[in-house]
Amino acid sequence: MTRRRMVTAMTHVALLVSGLAWLYPLFWALGSSLKSDDDFFTDGLNPMPSHFLWANYLNAWQEASFSRYFMNTILITLGTVVITLVVTSCAGYVLARTRFPGRGFCLGLVSATLFLPHGYTIIPVFDLMQRLHLLNSLWSVIIVQASGGVVFGTFLFMGYFMAVDRELEDAAQVDGANFHQTFARIMLPLSGPMLATVGLFTAITAWNSFFIPLVFTLGRPELRTLAIGMYAFIGENSTEWTLLCAGTVITLAPIILLFVLLQRFFVNGLAGAVKQ
Amino acid sequence: MVMTATVREDVTRAEPPRSAERRRARRRTYLWSYVYLAPMMVLLLVFVVYPIVASLGYTFYKWDGIGDPSDFVGLDNFRQIVHDSIFWRSLGHTFVYAAFVVPVQLVLALALALVLNNKKLRFASFYRTLFFLPVVTSAAVIGVVIQLLVSNFGDSINDLLMKLHLIDRHIDWLGDPHFALGIIILVGIWHTFGYNLVYFLAGLQTIPEELYEAARLDGAGRFATFRYITIPMLRAVGVVIVILAVIGTFQIFDLVQVLTSGGPFFATEVVNTYIYHLAFGGSNANAVQPDIGLASAASFVYGVLLIAFSVVQVVVLRSLAKRRGTGGIA
Repeated sequence: MTRRRMVTAMTHVALLVSGLAWLYPLFWALGSSLKSDDDFFTDGLNPMPSHFLWANYLNAWQEASFSRYFMNTILITLGTVVITLVVTSCAGYVLARTRFPGRGFCLGLVSATLFLPHGYTIIPVFDLMQRLHLLNSLWSVIIVQASGGVVFGTFLFMGYFMAVDRELEDAAQVDGANFHQTFARIMLPLSGPMLATVGLFTAITAWNSFFIPLVFTLGRPELRTLAIGMYAFIGENSTEWTLLCAGTVITLAPIILLFVLLQRFFVNGLAGAVKQ
Repeated sequence: MVMTATVREDVTRAEPPRSAERRRARRRTYLWSYVYLAPMMVLLLVFVVYPIVASLGYTFYKWDGIGDPSDFVGLDNFRQIVHDSIFWRSLGHTFVYAAFVVPVQLVLALALALVLNNKKLRFASFYRTLFFLPVVTSAAVIGVVIQLLVSNFGDSINDLLMKLHLIDRHIDWLGDPHFALGIIILVGIWHTFGYNLVYFLAGLQTIPEELYEAARLDGAGRFATFRYITIPMLRAVGVVIVILAVIGTFQIFDLVQVLTSGGPFFATEVVNTYIYHLAFGGSNANAVQPDIGLASAASFVYGVLLIAFSVVQVVVLRSLAKRRGTGGIA
């Protein structure tokens, strides 16, 4: 009995220590963001600041344009999430619940693109945006990111709506609900967990995405997202380390918070994707 | 509420509606189905399908991305790519990256998943969150933090390792062609490890508890249980996990771009950074002019290689799973 309790205690110690060590780079960035430049160098790898200094956050926010990057990232993330949710929930619903000519073709196309390697087609997309005169706006990033996620989202919603009891829908129709009312009043409210899953997935991907905003903001520094702003900053002012660490925290904190609050949906979604 | 309505109203529905009316209703359903589907199909066709076709067209032109492509060069771009040693080196680096990241991640993730899957272990989901968190942090930011750590305190790390007699000279971690890719591999393992952990946990939870109980009653030890129950039962999910991990590593771009931008001297150039440098100009040792045609040709060759590779991988893994599998295999 005591031996087993020892083993359990050891397991907890090992997991806690290795888990915290695993996150060391993040703790180090957090600690360094609160240090003065002098302390930053003398403290070295020790993440703990001797006294807390908030000036780095103020400077990053006001002078290093992180407030603008933050707003851009929020707008891009919100836009991408809203478009993805509207588009994929509607598409998933009709693919799961109605029969119409051409359904097989649409399904085939969606499945085929699921297996095509993505990310090698940025050049024609860039060209297309140029021709649509959307190149120098946040819309280009939003639309491209949303279209990258529609297949995955549509599949998740389709699977979810397929499992919903047919009777609910029939009942609504008998009650005189039309196509839209059935979807908006019966089916969509039922799909709350899936809305959360797809929404969170999309939010995390959009917030963290690097390649697409990098390409689409190449000539327009004022459209940069947090990730691109960090990347550009390290190239341009490569000596303001503590300010950069504050930028790291500004970039990571909101999305980590969102994840920790809603992680149930995220993890369930991932698990569902492998088990299918 | 809704359910009682069903029962009551079903009676009226039993009368057959007039066929003209039914046809009209069906046509209305078709129409609205198309309307609901249209936004998704438009995004898919315009931003996913069309670019695949269009990028094939660019491969026949020498084009810097400004104006319309007009300088037709036939298959020259493909010839140039195939003869470019940097393309093959970057392909090699991508494979080396995948060859290290995938097995290490999978073994570590399975080991940790086995520990965390224990139902009697308290706070398991807290530990899972700790190890999962790097996944939700952006690769670009990770790159910045690691670069800060290494460029300012690489010496402290050197001193520490020298004191432990693990190395005998100072190492310029990201500046030395021999070590830069190694650092990227380590960071890559750390960054996406959480995905594999969650996948394995999901897989382990599909194994019925009764199997373990039966094994325990039969007197099977811990290793025998792992070997004859866990491993075979995990095979189906395992195939998917391997495929996802391999596909993921072949998409590597952010970490490399932020940490080294492919340098020093192309020592960490992977295919995606190579394509990026071709298309948007090099920030690397040599300043290349943007060459969209060449970049598209490289993308196309890489895309074909990847599709071929995934098909082979799926076939091989599926047949392995079938041949040796004893549990329910998809």
